[in-house]
Amino acid sequence: MTDPTEPPDPTEPPEPTEPPEPPQDRPWEDEPLEQPAGPEDPASGAHGAPRSAATAEALAATCFLAAALAAIGLGVVYWQGGQTQLEGLLLAVATGGIGVGIVVWAKRFMPDEEVIEEREPLASSEEEIAEFNADFVHGEQSLVGRRILVGSLGAALAALGAALLFPIRSLGPRPGRGLKETAYAKAKGRRRGIRLVRADGGPIKPAELPVDGVLTAFPEDHTHDGDAPTLLIRTRASQKLELQHGRAAWVVDGIVAYSKLCTHVGCPVGLYQAGEGLLLCPCHQSTFNVLKGAEPIFGPATRPLPQLPLAVDDEGYLIATADFSAPVGPGFWDRDR
Amino acid sequence: MSAQSPPRGPTVPRTRAKKAAGRTATFRGARWVDERIGGAKFARTALNKVFPDHWSFMIGELALYCFVTLLLTGTYLTFFFDPSTETTTYHGSYAPLRGVEMTRAYRSALELSFDVRAGLVMRQIHHWAALLFLATIVVHLARVFFTGAFRKPRELNWIIGVTLLTLAIFNGFAGYSLLDDQLSGTGLRIAYSIALSIPLVGTWVTSLLFGGEFPGADIIERLYVIHILLIPAAITVLLAGHLYLVVRQKHTQFPGPGRREDNVVGERMWPTYAAKAVGLLFLTVSVLSMLGGLVQINPIWVFGPFDPAQVSSASQPDWYMGWLDGALRIMPGWEIRAFGFSIPNPFFPAVLLAGLTFGLLYAWPFLEARVTGDHDLHHLDDRPRQRPVRTALGVATISFYAICFLGGASDVLSTTFGLSVNAVLWTMRFALFIVPPIMAWATYRLCKELSARDGVPTASQVDWREIPHRLRHGSGPDDGDADENEDDDDPAAAPAAS
Amino acid sequence: MNHADQPERRHRRHRRLALVSVLGGVVGLTFLVVGRAPAGADSDLEAHGRSLYLEGCVSCHGTKGQGVGGSGGDNERGPRITDAGAAGAYYMLSTGRMPLNDPNEQPHRKDPAYGPKDIDALVAFVASLGHGPALTKVDLADASLANGGLVFRADCQACHSASGSGGALSYGRAAPSLREATPEQVAAAVRSGPGQMPVFGQGDVDRKQLRDLVAYVQYLRHPSDRGGLAIGRVGPVPEGFVAWSVGVVLLLACVFWIGTRSPIRSRPGANADADADADADAHTNADSDADVGSEP
Repeated sequence: MTDPTEPPDPTEPPEPTEPPEPPQDRPWEDEPLEQPAGPEDPASGAHGAPRSAATAEALAATCFLAAALAAIGLGVVYWQGGQTQLEGLLLAVATGGIGVGIVVWAKRFMPDEEVIEEREPLASSEEEIAEFNADFVHGEQSLVGRRILVGSLGAALAALGAALLFPIRSLGPRPGRGLKETAYAKAKGRRRGIRLVRADGGPIKPAELPVDGVLTAFPEDHTHDGDAPTLLIRTRASQKLELQHGRAAWVVDGIVAYSKLCTHVGCPVGLYQAGEGLLLCPCHQSTFNVLKGAEPIFGPATRPLPQLPLAVDDEGYLIATADFSAPVGPGFWDRDR
Repeated sequence: MSAQSPPRGPTVPRTRAKKAAGRTATFRGARWVDERIGGAKFARTALNKVFPDHWSFMIGELALYCFVTLLLTGTYLTFFFDPSTETTTYHGSYAPLRGVEMTRAYRSALELSFDVRAGLVMRQIHHWAALLFLATIVVHLARVFFTGAFRKPRELNWIIGVTLLTLAIFNGFAGYSLLDDQLSGTGLRIAYSIALSIPLVGTWVTSLLFGGEFPGADIIERLYVIHILLIPAAITVLLAGHLYLVVRQKHTQFPGPGRREDNVVGERMWPTYAAKAVGLLFLTVSVLSMLGGLVQINPIWVFGPFDPAQVSSASQPDWYMGWLDGALRIMPGWEIRAFGFSIPNPFFPAVLLAGLTFGLLYAWPFLEARVTGDHDLHHLDDRPRQRPVRTALGVATISFYAICFLGGASDVLSTTFGLSVNAVLWTMRFALFIVPPIMAWATYRLCKELSARDGVPTASQVDWREIPHRLRHGSGPDDGDADENEDDDDPAAAPAAS
Repeated sequence: MNHADQPERRHRRHRRLALVSVLGGVVGLTFLVVGRAPAGADSDLEAHGRSLYLEGCVSCHGTKGQGVGGSGGDNERGPRITDAGAAGAYYMLSTGRMPLNDPNEQPHRKDPAYGPKDIDALVAFVASLGHGPALTKVDLADASLANGGLVFRADCQACHSASGSGGALSYGRAAPSLREATPEQVAAAVRSGPGQMPVFGQGDVDRKQLRDLVAYVQYLRHPSDRGGLAIGRVGPVPEGFVAWSVGVVLLLACVFWIGTRSPIRSRPGANADADADADADAHTNADSDADVGSEP
């Protein structure tokens, strides 16, 4: 379609043409947009409306007036202290009234004849391209000729570009051990371990947790850490714990402790089904079997919830003797290294 | 501009003496501007610009007006919102949270909802406008896709459009995350974990983005700048480009009597189309205000302040992210591990699927041109039924993402309809692979049927079996024929106009 | 014992029908002990309860609440309820979850089978069977909604959702909606942990916290819907549904109205005579030929 064709009208090509429009009754076979023909109302300038022009004008005017009233009402409502539903409704009526009025006006009283505009070719002509090339090459010669200048400027710009990337580093710390450790890590080697506390900071005695009870605990002094929430669950005596090898001693009076963060994308796994010993994550439905080392049994999670080795200190409070059995929360590239 | 052609004179036939008097001031102002920058000629061209009319060509405008609403309401909200993660205590008028510790961000959002007059209605209109901004973009995209309006010469505008969609999704998510309520915090946590799952760079990306390990000290402040400045500015610039290209290339039109590749048939910009457009702007605002006033959205006071140790059942993102959340849920528990390194599970449904989705969207015009060997300019839209293959693929794709979305609502579906959440997810796992092909087949048959009824042969431009060959070698073996036909086009067009 | 279960008599059945568990289909309801049973229950009441028990409960829970086994090892027909206590019995009976017609059925809220007096009697009898949690009287007069909200969000919202609308658990289980729960029922459930629900004892939720929590759950029955129509209060899923089914539909209706012309309109290409139209058609055909070109 590179060739502009002759316009169907004698006016100049860029101008849209406005042909005379004899009414036609023949419906077009392939016309998806056309409505069936009806009677015409030449006096109003609009065509074949079921309503008379006067009705349409009255309708549009009513809309505008309703909009004006609603707008005034909006002011009054605001002045009286505001009310969300009324505000929304009045605003809707005000804007809707204006919108409907304008559209009725446009549809009924504004010219709706179809006009034809030619498409000019989008691409440039060969001559224009040749002229551009000539000009460009002319200027380019003075640039390319100075090889030393071009090279050194390139080096300078590249260096500057690289140097400007450095400040990105200021946005955050280097990802270090933080992803693999929690505040419980300090328990390692400490004889008294790290106490588990409630959200309010109070320590926990095993007896305070009833059978089938759950409690969200934190390492002492770190109740606001994002990676430390721990779920304490007291299982029933009738529920046989089948933990991973060597973890039998991590249980105190049937209480097991797991990281509360899902190994999928880190949502808190808070839904405990006491009868079945199942933990469900509400975000993506990963399901973990508490009785079998919190291994995932359904959903996208691939790894068990890390377990916390529990013990009781001299005063009878629950402590952790070391960090979780694995990095908590969602996976990352070098999590196992 | 020369004096002998006053800006409006001849083009406005109506001359009412009464109006002329009122106009002199306007004219004087216009003349003042014109003497300095000219532009009457340009302005007249703009007034006379022709828009092909079909109701579906105005869907993009809906998105534009939603964006306008977002800018207006959003600006109002910025006057009251405080994007700070500093801890504070709430003493506002919502009794069930009085005395509770929270961040200033959440507190200011509560005050905006309860204590700032007209604050809640603005916030709700803003949120509904965001949901509908995305929805109308998607409907617009579907319209462009199914009518083939993305074909040469409009590939550039397709690319801009897809970029706008991506930016809109990001900005929607950023806005959803700002309020620091339980739901938004959970969403941020998931976003953090998805970014963390990217091989090699994930840990660095999250640390730089969040300013450290989750929850991160800086994320709300940063998202705020991104949400109210960076992305809106980018959207505005790209929107301007999007509209410029529509003007430059002129809108496509459906074929019909007198409607050809080399013309545009429709209404003039001035006054009818302009009036309709303004009317539509008001109507859009009206629908959004009605929703914003009458239907509660994101009642953050029910969700409470974010606490990384807490979560609520039924935690979902807004609908435009729902398909991603659904993909995360539907994905079985698989991941890749080797030599102590791993590619975590969320990478596949979130990063890979999203990358594939948008990669394919960007590439579609080029892929289709390559497969069909059609490198002609197209200004006439297809009717979907005339392109059974494209239409079938489009419908299949939509069904794929719809199933993902339903997967994302698995728990809500379970609670509402009394189903097992596991059963729902298993159903989705199978449906994801069974339903799209069925939809594609059904759509293909339907298109063929409809075309046969029309008596018009479908332009089933390609044999399915040839697609692999064409992708490898560019256009197919009959390339030459297509070119010949293209050459035939222009001579055919010339007499048509004469 | 004061019964506030009258509101429950509304004929409103939960949608949650019997869901057969994937795991096996045994409904293992187990009531566990927290605290102590009330001392010295009224013996007349207890005797009445005993007769009711022997009539309606004994087939599944046994004569002394020890449970009744099926063919398997566990108490498959009905669990042991000796330690259910007054709280457990009251919760189950007053919410109509017990008695069940079919032991494999998932219990759900329905109209109570017994009247208030009979429930009192049964509760007294079950309490006498062992050392279950007592009923907690809650006086909401001085309750703090804010504190209750803190407890609710820490311990309850994970399953029952932040708005108390209930939520899905795994394998067909569900946490019920709290919209119909009375203060006594909430307190009894917290202390006794019915069904799959965990138990929250004094050590976790003390008396004051329980009172505040109950007040907050009562508040959630009719929370502030300042924003308008609540559409379920379950977050973005219904919102997205409304956005598409109402918002998009309305906007498209606007566009359709604006974009369609009045019934009659002027014809395009009016200057073009029949020949030109024919040519235009030919032209369109030529285009589609080009597109079809590759097809033999």
